[in-house]
Amino acid sequence: MSLLAYLEATALSQWLSISMLGFPTLIALHSVGMAVVVGLSLIVALRLNGVVVTGIDGQLVAKLLTIAAWGFVLNFVTGLALFITRGADYITSGIFLIKMLLVIVSAIILFWLRERLEPVDSTSRALVADRLARNLSLVAATLWFAAVVAGRLIAYLSDLYR
Amino acid sequence: MSPDVWAWIANTPVRTWVVDSPYVWPTLESIHFASLCVLMGSLLVVDLRLIGLYRQPCAPTVRFLIRLAVAAFAINLATGLLFFLGNTYKYVDNAAFELKLVLIAIAGLNALLYKRSLSHIVESDELSWSSVGVGWLSLLLWSGVIVCGRMITFYAP
Repeated sequence: MSLLAYLEATALSQWLSISMLGFPTLIALHSVGMAVVVGLSLIVALRLNGVVVTGIDGQLVAKLLTIAAWGFVLNFVTGLALFITRGADYITSGIFLIKMLLVIVSAIILFWLRERLEPVDSTSRALVADRLARNLSLVAATLWFAAVVAGRLIAYLSDLYR
Repeated sequence: MSPDVWAWIANTPVRTWVVDSPYVWPTLESIHFASLCVLMGSLLVVDLRLIGLYRQPCAPTVRFLIRLAVAAFAINLATGLLFFLGNTYKYVDNAAFELKLVLIAIAGLNALLYKRSLSHIVESDELSWSSVGVGWLSLLLWSGVIVCGRMITFYAP
């Protein structure tokens, strides 16, 4: 807890909390990153499971997963900056911890899928997605959406913004 | 618009429904957020195609992605309307909300151009300045819409 208190007391954290350029900008960027990660994870899950989205080959799936991973990096950085402004409060919020759990599991699947699908021969137009990859892509897409809802509910189910 | 108009809009029976229960507003927000992810994800795949990052997906997939984006937009228009009727004065005279509406209007016009560029690209497999422009514009406008949307709460009068 003393680390979190220390982080909250840093000049950076103080500025992030007070400045209109701090917290609102971070949370707005966090929303854009969210849309990129969650949206692309859905499209990739639909593609891997052959649901409607069919005209996308293996190389493109790998590209989309890379873009999703960059969206995640943006949200990791902005999320961390948001966290240090109120670390001690966030860490005791149940709904925030549920969101973190959902994000961690989904992100692990995202990076795992990216490794798994990337080595496909670059000249090949085929996509080798085994049953595990297909199933996990659906799990990740579902958990990402759950994380979005949990994130929104932080405003209602915790005392952070009251 | 005159204050009377806003007063009337702010006091429809919808307001009671949206605001009185502690569950309705958070549920609508959750739907609005989930749906914006669907909108962004599907448009992103098509926009990057227009920009020329890759040469796929083929025509039927593009048509599906655009239908998906339109459906997601319809959901967000509906939930957005409920927010406006439920808490009108949060949005009236709100700079972030006004800019968001302007960006959506421009994105709508862009989408009309979009339709032409898209069929051109999918059929000819060639990039043009206009298609690249339309793709970038779409990406930037919708990102701006999300940013302004998230800023509304900080600019509420």
